[in-house]
Amino acid sequence: MNQLLPLPVLMPLLAAGVKITLGPRHPGLQRVISVTVLAAVLSVAVVLLVRADRFGPQTVQVGAWPAPLGVTLVADRLSAVMLTVSAAVTLCVMVYAIGQDVADADRRTPLSVFHPTYLLLVAGVADAFLAGDLFNLFVGFEIMLMASYVLITLGGTAARVRAGTTYIMVALLSSMLFLIAIGVIYAAAGTVNMAQLAERFQALPSGITLLAELMLLTAFGIKAAVFPLSMWLPDSYPTAPAPVTAVFAGLLTKIGIYGFIRAETLLFPGHATRPLLLAAALLSMVVGVLGALVQVDIKRLLSFTLVSHIGYMIFGVALGSAAALAATVFYVLHHITIQTTLFLVAGLIERRGGSTSLHRLGGLARTAPLIGLLFFVPAMNLGGVPPLSGFLGKLGLLQAGLADGGAFADVLVVTAVGTSLLTLYALVKVWNQAFWRVPAEMPGTSAEAEDEGAAPPSVRLPAAMVGATVALLALSLAYTAAGGPLVSLTERAAAELLSPAGYIQAVRPQEPGGPS
Amino acid sequence: MSGTVVLAAAGGALVAAGVALVLERSLSRLVVGMLVLGNGVNLLILTGGGPAGRAPILHGVPPGADRRPMNDPVPQAMILTAIVIALGTAAFALAIAYRSGRLGDSDDDDVRDDIEDRRVTRGRHELRTQVRARRREFREWSREQRGQIRGARRELRAGIRAERERRAVDDPGDLDDGDDESGSDR
Amino acid sequence: MLLLFAVHCAAAAVAPLLVRGLGRNAFLPLALVPAAAAVWALPPWLDGAAPRAESHAWIPGLHLELALRADPLAWMMVLIVGGVGALIVAYCARYFEAAERGLGGFAGQLLAFAAAMLGLVLADDLILLYVFWELTTVFSYLLIGFDSARAAARRAATQAIIVTTFGGLAMLVGLIMLGRAAGTYRLSEILARPPGGTAVGVALALILIGALSKSALVPFGLWLPAAMAAPTPVSAYLHAAAMVKAGVYLVARFAPAFAGAAVWRPVVLVLGALTMVLAGWRALREHDLKLLLAYGTVSQLGFMVVLVGAGTRDAALAGVTVLLAHALFKAALFMVVGIIDHATGTRDLRRLSGLGRAAPVLCGTSIVAAASMAGVPATLGFAGKEAAYEAFIGGRPVLLGVLVLGSAFTAAYSLRFLWGAFARKHGADELSAYRIEALLLAPPVVLALAGVALGLLAAPLDAPLSREAAAYPADGHGGYHLSAWHGFGEALLLTAVSLLVGAGLFFAGRVVVRLQRRIVFVEPADVYAGLMRSLNHLALQVTGAVQRGSLPGYLVVILLTAAGLTGSAILLGRPWPTPAPWRLWDGPAQAMVAVLTVAAAVAAARAHGRAQTVVLAGASGYGVATLFVLQGAPDLALTQLLMETASLVVFVLVLRRLPVGFPRTRPKSRYRLHVAIGLLIGLLATGATLLAAQARRAVPIAAGFPGAAEKAGGSNIVATVLVDIRAWDTLGESSVIALAALGVTSMVFARRRASVPPRAADAASGTAVWAVAGMTSVDAAFRGEPSPRGRDWLAAGPTLAAERRSIVFEVVARLTFHTVLLFSLYLLFTAHSAPGGGFVGGIVAGLALVVRYLAGGPFELAEAAPVDVGRLLGVGLIITAGTAFCGPLWGSAILESGGWDPHVPLLGHVHLATSLLFDAGVYLIVIGLMLDVLSALGAEVDRQAGTEEAG
Repeated sequence: MNQLLPLPVLMPLLAAGVKITLGPRHPGLQRVISVTVLAAVLSVAVVLLVRADRFGPQTVQVGAWPAPLGVTLVADRLSAVMLTVSAAVTLCVMVYAIGQDVADADRRTPLSVFHPTYLLLVAGVADAFLAGDLFNLFVGFEIMLMASYVLITLGGTAARVRAGTTYIMVALLSSMLFLIAIGVIYAAAGTVNMAQLAERFQALPSGITLLAELMLLTAFGIKAAVFPLSMWLPDSYPTAPAPVTAVFAGLLTKIGIYGFIRAETLLFPGHATRPLLLAAALLSMVVGVLGALVQVDIKRLLSFTLVSHIGYMIFGVALGSAAALAATVFYVLHHITIQTTLFLVAGLIERRGGSTSLHRLGGLARTAPLIGLLFFVPAMNLGGVPPLSGFLGKLGLLQAGLADGGAFADVLVVTAVGTSLLTLYALVKVWNQAFWRVPAEMPGTSAEAEDEGAAPPSVRLPAAMVGATVALLALSLAYTAAGGPLVSLTERAAAELLSPAGYIQAVRPQEPGGPS
Repeated sequence: MSGTVVLAAAGGALVAAGVALVLERSLSRLVVGMLVLGNGVNLLILTGGGPAGRAPILHGVPPGADRRPMNDPVPQAMILTAIVIALGTAAFALAIAYRSGRLGDSDDDDVRDDIEDRRVTRGRHELRTQVRARRREFREWSREQRGQIRGARRELRAGIRAERERRAVDDPGDLDDGDDESGSDR
Repeated sequence: MLLLFAVHCAAAAVAPLLVRGLGRNAFLPLALVPAAAAVWALPPWLDGAAPRAESHAWIPGLHLELALRADPLAWMMVLIVGGVGALIVAYCARYFEAAERGLGGFAGQLLAFAAAMLGLVLADDLILLYVFWELTTVFSYLLIGFDSARAAARRAATQAIIVTTFGGLAMLVGLIMLGRAAGTYRLSEILARPPGGTAVGVALALILIGALSKSALVPFGLWLPAAMAAPTPVSAYLHAAAMVKAGVYLVARFAPAFAGAAVWRPVVLVLGALTMVLAGWRALREHDLKLLLAYGTVSQLGFMVVLVGAGTRDAALAGVTVLLAHALFKAALFMVVGIIDHATGTRDLRRLSGLGRAAPVLCGTSIVAAASMAGVPATLGFAGKEAAYEAFIGGRPVLLGVLVLGSAFTAAYSLRFLWGAFARKHGADELSAYRIEALLLAPPVVLALAGVALGLLAAPLDAPLSREAAAYPADGHGGYHLSAWHGFGEALLLTAVSLLVGAGLFFAGRVVVRLQRRIVFVEPADVYAGLMRSLNHLALQVTGAVQRGSLPGYLVVILLTAAGLTGSAILLGRPWPTPAPWRLWDGPAQAMVAVLTVAAAVAAARAHGRAQTVVLAGASGYGVATLFVLQGAPDLALTQLLMETASLVVFVLVLRRLPVGFPRTRPKSRYRLHVAIGLLIGLLATGATLLAAQARRAVPIAAGFPGAAEKAGGSNIVATVLVDIRAWDTLGESSVIALAALGVTSMVFARRRASVPPRAADAASGTAVWAVAGMTSVDAAFRGEPSPRGRDWLAAGPTLAAERRSIVFEVVARLTFHTVLLFSLYLLFTAHSAPGGGFVGGIVAGLALVVRYLAGGPFELAEAAPVDVGRLLGVGLIITAGTAFCGPLWGSAILESGGWDPHVPLLGHVHLATSLLFDAGVYLIVIGLMLDVLSALGAEVDRQAGTEEAG
């Protein structure tokens, strides 16, 4: 039954191959393939989650080669649950993209670019989550990054190329740093299999493991946009098309966080870098939210809140206790869904209001009440208003922070609360200016024009786009409704993370006998 | 087991050159820098693989050619993958360079700054100049005030001294002369 | 209880539909829902039933459970929220015009607020309390911002949500700390066994911040007056009867158990009294009736907090009574102001004149309600004040004095309200008689009369009210009993004094105004504005400094952070091993080649020309290839060599469109900084690798690979590892290559073009590809007629501009093309035992295509590879992914290679393995990339250049 593990990577790969062969001539067929494949990936992910939850980490040695030689794929509760949510999110965003007809840029190029690249992005994400091997994690990163380079510069407009260049060069540098880290780790431990690394790191001098840990965390930090390494994100994300930004915001940074969690629990269990991570979390939260307060464009504002909320997750990882990790996992799931929903809504606003800049938007609450509702609920969720999932995540983190009792942790708790307030303030400002404010010169929507009841020609939003956004919103509300079982799942995941023996035993790396 | 210093040094030097190139503005230098950086990193991974040795090929090698133990194949596999990925990213980065060359106003392919950030930085600059201007005004104003106060105090002291002298001259009995010159209307 | 809450939520959900159906009359049926809550709460409150509790598990992990508990205090609050709520919802039926925009949403939000308020007073779990607490804040934000066109309403709504959420979040931290200290999050259990200690003290302070910000007491009271921008029903319900009472309710809940805490009394008593006096004083200056009432509310809230927070039974009894009375008369007065605003269109008391005679019933109601506010005998307000004085007569004289002064101000602004609203004023035009709809007038009348009726029936009310105060510790002399008339005692004297002083203050209006102007207080509104301005300045400073927007800037920061972390790890960790023998080099050749490679790279870094830089970088790449050979990695060397060549080709294709030199000379200082950072990173990377290599003790996994390769049936270990043992990485790699091809295509092809490049045959005759502008070629005459086919070395020879064709190049291209292709196939098949493989073979085939393209131009390329790039890439990906799938077909693991040994007549014994098929897939993909790069960056760029020059 473990043959299911490689499927989330293989199916999109095969589908991408088929789509490239088809070329841009059959858009209808392309869409059908995309949706069916992503639905299949989602169902496999759910099955994996159920099995991982019941029977512990699921492993498969690709090509039947024993552990340290071949590549091992591992799905424990953490990777399974993140894979499931990512699959759900990518499916919804694909439906949204089909509705928005992002692929229309394809008709201008001889190759169909959007659909296959999107599927390869999903394959890369799945590979990164399932990789039990550090170098394979690097390859997973590379697939995902390469796909994101293509997606961010889709259509080749001047703004996208400029922003894309920044994104690509920073990502290439992070890959290089990751490669140097792998070189150092292999030089020190002689293996790249993560389970075996966990064992061999115990034997190495603490100086070397600290060195390896910091190099890895730098590479993951760039990907996750932790403060000193996060300035590239708000410049590059907003220029891409809405569904692309939604997938990036939802997934790419969370892969970095997944790397953080894996490094801090499996490879380097000792809390050597705790003060450093706490400081990074504090700075990410504060600088991110202050950045958000100054922005005029909705997408840029959301990018800054993204950076700020990464700080929450790093805070959870830094605390390291079981409760903190459980809260972190919950917060990651919440943030994947909410950030993607908000960017999709930003896409709707852009399509309906003509722009996402707050100066030019106005009166949307009247002209598009549905978008108003679709924006208000996730915005309040991100702002931490109970009983939505944002509040539950923050509640878990605050409880863990206070339970930790350290002075620095208390400072972090206060910062977390302050950041949540400022996030709410930023989002309320958006609600005021884009939805409530009725600019005088808005044709057809100004107060006196209302009386004639001449509703402005409402641009009909494609059903697929609205449908996808509503589906994601329902998912985020489900976190609240099914709070109990979900929190207990994250607690079990945290417990599993804090005892790496289970993971190592599942992979069973054999020490290579015979002479070196 | 220890790494070869020369190999590591060469790798480090290439990384240094690569980084120096990557920090440039021109996009084609950036891409070249990335390639050189990639080569440097590959050399570093190779040093992790241990000393130079026989090619990792089992049979079909003429006997007696090379007695040294085989070089470690794992870093070689990793480096091979990294080289191929570097080729892919280089090709795409060059396509970007071409695109930005064609789109850009001038022909150079420099990396331009983000407009929104410039707006925020300009806003900050204006704010700082305002704050500095206001502070300067305040300082001048307070200097003036101090000047006036000192002037007033000097007058007052002069007035009191004059008063004391006058009173010392007149006899105390003469009360009703108009003491207008030290009028207290100030 | 949960059912009641569910009914409220259902009503809120249904409200918008009802309003769309019935218009504003929909408010009448909706009013039944809060009324139901009141009816549910009345009997148990009156006859003192035992507290009822129910709880359902929600999120045990976060100590969050749906625990609801109703006790006398909760019942009274439900009574207020439900009763006053029902009347106000009915009042809305007539207050809004029929076609009011957004009425459906408003009704929904109002009902939802009622639900949240209900939840808040019934919640028994600390976190659940906070959930409803924040929900009331969000709904108040929406309700205040109802007519969102007005900027004032938006600003007020924002200010309300920010200040109350600030208080709420502080309270949340306090609640968690309290819950952790007490070991349980159940409110009733905590109050039964209150924990002690400093942590609890801090928690209580934080909780008090939350309560005081919700009830708009002095330091946090700046949002309530501004919130008067809301429609009147909202002001009446939220800012008089319900939401602001939440803070008082919380203080009442915590007082019995924690009144003794060190932090409790100073905060509650001082701030409460201060609020009562300051707000009362401020109310005297207001010209807008609604603002006058708003400051009145703030003052009354301070009064209630003092009473309920004092911690004695008698004071609590008084507090609860005032709370009930205040809900009645203040809601009535707000509704009266609503009617006045509705009728006359203004709320400014200087312009209202003669309304008393114009609307006698309204005037009567206001007098009754204002009487209860001022504490005139025979009203519930009076009974409450009496109890308050009685409670503090023995204990705290100073506090008593302040309360009397506060009551005096209350009396003064009550009179000012009555005079302002109804008296005849010279200078203002007389208002004609005005008929007010019955349904609009009914709610305030009912509330005012209830105020008086309950005042007279104070004695029977004493039983339920004192049950609420039962939890408080009784202080000294026997329990005080509420009654309408206590005869002449000290309390009555104090009431008389306060009324007289109040009247005096009112009549000496002008003195008060001049006095007001001299004692200028800080305006709450601009405290908030100042805070927000400084916040924005801070945000601007930080973001401006951090977010520069320049890529080199970001890269420098990233590299410095990486260097800082690695450097500190090395310095702190001191991973210096025992002095192991450093192996300087593996041979002199290696050192020489290394020096050459580094020299080439450094020269590339310093080069000024674009082509110079590329070529030097290529040279360093070849140096690295040589190092690989010396290190004993032939596969690696071959791949590196071909990869450098391929990237050089791609560079040349792009460089020809870019200017030769770099336009701007690099500023010296920045360049030196970049070099310094480069050296630092290089040094740290080298050091880290060497130190790591020193520290290795364990046997590297490489030991297992010879055996594995043997088992896999291949002798070239590296190639076997790539296509069999770690084939999963290669699968990923090949998809990266496919993506690169897609990327190049999406970047270069801005416009629609046929997927298969145009063949030589359909090239328009006479178009000379790569014609050098202005160059008169010698055999211009020949270009005219195409030579008969078959006589040219290259199929698309004639399409090339005469001056570009070189006979030697064409001959070489023709001869080598097919042999090189054969060689690339050989490389593909020998991978198992000699250096080779899919990647190497693919690039070799690609280079063959390059040669033909360079020799014969874009149409020649089409002749050489008349295949659609997409098909190549797609088939390649399908093969690689497909071979992975076919593993399980033979019942083995995914990507496991199966062997097959046919005996092919010509070739003899052949060992075919699925890994070969996998490698063939990779081969196709790499060729796809090379072809795509050539057709995109080569042919397409020529075409676009052609059209540009022509255009």
